[in-house]
Amino acid sequence: MSFLHINNIRKHFGETTVLKGIDIAIEQGDFLVLVGPSGCGKSTLLNMIAGLDSISDGELLLNGRRINEVHPAQRDIAMVFQSYALYPSMTVAGNIGFGLEMRKVPKHERREAIERVAKMLQIENLLDRKPGQLSGGQRQRVAMGRALVREPQLFLFDEPLSNLDAKLRVDMRTEIKQLHQRLGATIVYVTHDQIEAMTLATRIAVMRAGELQQLGTPQQVYDDPGNLFVAGFMGSPSMNLLNARIVMVDDEPVARIAAGEGTLELPIVRDREALRGWQDREVIIGLRPEAITDPASANRQDGVIHETSLTVSLVEPTGADVYAVTHLGGRDINARMRPGTQLSPGEQTRFAFDVSRMVAFDPQSEERIR
Amino acid sequence: MPNSPSPQGGGARARMQRWLPKLVLSPSFVLILFFVYGFILWTTYISFSNSGMLPDYSWAGLRQWSRLWNSWTWGIALHNIWIFGLLYIVSCIVLGLLLAILLDQRIRAEGALRTIYLYPMALSFIVTGTAWQWFLNPGLGLEKTMHELGWQSFSFNWLIDSGMAIYTIVIAAVWQATGFIMAMFLAGLRGIDGEMIKAAQIDGAPAWKIYLRIIIPQLRPVFLSAVVVLAHLAIKSFDLIVAMTGGGPGNSTAVPATFMYSYAFSRNEMGIAAASAVFMLAVIAALIIPYLYSELRESRS
Amino acid sequence: MSTAPPTARAGVLSRAILYAILAVFAIAYLMPLYVMLTTSFKTLDEIHQGNMLALPDNWTIQPWLEAWGSACIGLECNGVHGYFFNSIRIVVPAVLISGLLGAFNGYVLTKWRFRGHRIVFGLILFSCFIPFQIILLPMARVLGILNIANSVTGLVLVHIVYGIGFTTLFFRNYYETFPNELIRAAQLDGAGFFTIFFRILLPASTPIIVVTIIWQFTNVWNDFLFGVSFASGDSAPITVALNNLVNSSTGVKAYNVNMAAAMVAAVPTLIVYILAGKYFLRGLMSGSVKG
Ligand SMILES: Nc1ncnc2c1ncn2[C@@H]1O[C@H](COP(=O)(O)OP(=O)(O)O)[C@@H](O)[C@H]1O
Ligand SMILES: [Mg+2]
Repeated sequence: MSFLHINNIRKHFGETTVLKGIDIAIEQGDFLVLVGPSGCGKSTLLNMIAGLDSISDGELLLNGRRINEVHPAQRDIAMVFQSYALYPSMTVAGNIGFGLEMRKVPKHERREAIERVAKMLQIENLLDRKPGQLSGGQRQRVAMGRALVREPQLFLFDEPLSNLDAKLRVDMRTEIKQLHQRLGATIVYVTHDQIEAMTLATRIAVMRAGELQQLGTPQQVYDDPGNLFVAGFMGSPSMNLLNARIVMVDDEPVARIAAGEGTLELPIVRDREALRGWQDREVIIGLRPEAITDPASANRQDGVIHETSLTVSLVEPTGADVYAVTHLGGRDINARMRPGTQLSPGEQTRFAFDVSRMVAFDPQSEERIR
Repeated sequence: MPNSPSPQGGGARARMQRWLPKLVLSPSFVLILFFVYGFILWTTYISFSNSGMLPDYSWAGLRQWSRLWNSWTWGIALHNIWIFGLLYIVSCIVLGLLLAILLDQRIRAEGALRTIYLYPMALSFIVTGTAWQWFLNPGLGLEKTMHELGWQSFSFNWLIDSGMAIYTIVIAAVWQATGFIMAMFLAGLRGIDGEMIKAAQIDGAPAWKIYLRIIIPQLRPVFLSAVVVLAHLAIKSFDLIVAMTGGGPGNSTAVPATFMYSYAFSRNEMGIAAASAVFMLAVIAALIIPYLYSELRESRS
Repeated sequence: MSTAPPTARAGVLSRAILYAILAVFAIAYLMPLYVMLTTSFKTLDEIHQGNMLALPDNWTIQPWLEAWGSACIGLECNGVHGYFFNSIRIVVPAVLISGLLGAFNGYVLTKWRFRGHRIVFGLILFSCFIPFQIILLPMARVLGILNIANSVTGLVLVHIVYGIGFTTLFFRNYYETFPNELIRAAQLDGAGFFTIFFRILLPASTPIIVVTIIWQFTNVWNDFLFGVSFASGDSAPITVALNNLVNSSTGVKAYNVNMAAAMVAAVPTLIVYILAGKYFLRGLMSGSVKG
């Protein structure tokens, strides 16, 4: 029996269906990240878990107990909001202690709890200030303090970092991860930022237009995307997706890709049996930028390397890496080269393809072939 | 539209919480329904009845309306409200916009000047009327002062000139409302994106052209609000006329509001009074409803 | 900040003209108040002989005393002070009750929306704009039936009813800017409908409370139409008394007393405006102008 079980949950707003039957189960201590483009229904799902939106259909189980009809205040859940939603006229201490006050916790206990949380979040010196006198990062901490102080069974975070600037966002991300590890808390966290999802989650649920696309560990979602959407959404720069044709060479399936005047043939390593059935049919193959490199950086130990020469059309140094853009299979593809690689557009160079990481998709259904 | 919280949950307390909002809103809503919409219906019905001094619910068709339309005073009242409304709205907007633009030129004493232009708004129409009645008093006011200052031929007796009295009311009314309109325009000016103006300057546009071509067109919503506010004030104009001229000399400064009052409370002609009130409401509704509709629709997205 | 294009090399002359124009307007706007004030401190003789614009030769507060305590309004010669207190007795409850109702309405209409909330708001809002002539006749009858015609209580009721529209508009527009997440957070913290309102929203509403109080205070204090229609005689508000004093056709016109009485009627709103006008405008601009 899982700790939180979202069982075939649907949500309608009048005529429109916003969630079309979501199934997710997580264990105690899990850090579940709901990720997907804006408007796909992440916040709606989170609000339903909190009890702030009604559940049109399906069942919500917390610790085995059905909580569909339980009032939000009685679910033993705390939530951190994107806008922080700090009570503007109360001090920081008042904000953090409000939930305890509503639960009639005696004053001295409240005081202790507030101080303990403030210490954990390093906001002890802010306790007497009003939210209007705080910076964005400080407000964010107070919002977290308000959730932490209640010691709930489940924490909900709705895009808590999206109002912070880039540097602070990264710092807070680390801090949230540390908090999770230290407290062993169970967290459901919403974001549209796939990097945040990858770094924080123990489980990722990728959503799109009210449907769950894939549920798995970050590694599973990254390496084994279930469909084209997940493949394209997770990872930055995103996965290279190119048109190919499956042909048999020596009775083994090979992906034939248009490359300039000629063709490039990449041997199939993964899902080989499934792809046999695709002989002489078009597929879309996916390769992460880091699976296409210069020959010297190729991972020859774990991978299966296939080398070829291609023309570079654009070079994008990022400091940590150099990305080379080349034309293959009708698309521009990104290859991650060793830092300091000297390349210029129009130049021919050797590329190493790690075909052990190559995945294939059905162009019609957009599902993974496996 | 952001969705409102609709907490889930059973139990008596939760059910109470779901009913509470409507319960709290209902006294106001019931008051409004009865005292506004009920009264509108009642007055409308009376305008089609035989009511005179007392309500008489027998149906009279358009009798009161035709009496209204044939009334000489009502004709004057309509004529006056048309002149008054037009002059009032146009003058307030022109002066208000002018003052706002002048005040927006990094003026040193802006705060003090703003206060001076605005204070008349705090005064009641009765006080304003009293003050201006005295100020324009032909025997002792401005005219006499000018004579004493040596301008013997100066003559200003509009207040008692039945052809001109309505214009004295325009002057007093404009004096009272311009500051408010100025404040609206000033707020509008301050809300305009400064970068666009910088871009226009870099393009080499002279200041007056920037105002004419870029800034003023962007104040369109303020113009609209100003017209609505002023038109609404103009049609309700009652106090100022009572205080300054009492509708006189003769009937020369009668407007629909004073007409309605005198037929309702002095002449005991409820039917005609009701018809004139319904007419006023219809004019305002024709103006306000599209405005409210568009404003409320905008906030939907 | 000014949006005006910086007039980099604007001539001294054009600045001078600019200030001159602004000064002329300022004088024009101040003139009636100045004349009213100086007249109220002059004797009647001086008014008849002297110049309207001149300062009084012999300052006298007699007109003020007379206006306050002994001027004849109708048949009674007790000055305007009774009517002044009538106005206060009308204003205070009318402002407080209509304000509180408006605050509740704004709260419900933004944070506890229900099907049809838009129509309800539209209906309430429209009541701000009706010409009150449309309700004079039935209101006179209803006040009669309720036995509160010609009374302060009756006027309080009238001002509450027709004030709800504006107070609701103000609070609704203000609370619209509060994120709904605030309410959700409070619900998760265990707060209910009234706790959220009194503990979280109301303490953060000072700016709009100021706007609402000033607006309602000015409107109710300055009202003449309801006063003259529904409260004659002893229960009349100050505006009605002032008008009766100034425009009574009997006796010699005591302009100085009239002006003093007008000042008495004007002073409360002027004080409120001078003390809090800044906050009022600031709030109003963000609130009412944008429906
Ligand atoms: N109260 C509502 N009424 C109608 N549609 C809504 C309501 N709330 C949200 N939606 C719609 O539901 C979809 C999902 O919204 P949301 O859960 O906020 O998305 P996300 O958090 O993933 O960006 C959106 O298309 C949104 O327009
Ligand atoms: Mg969201």
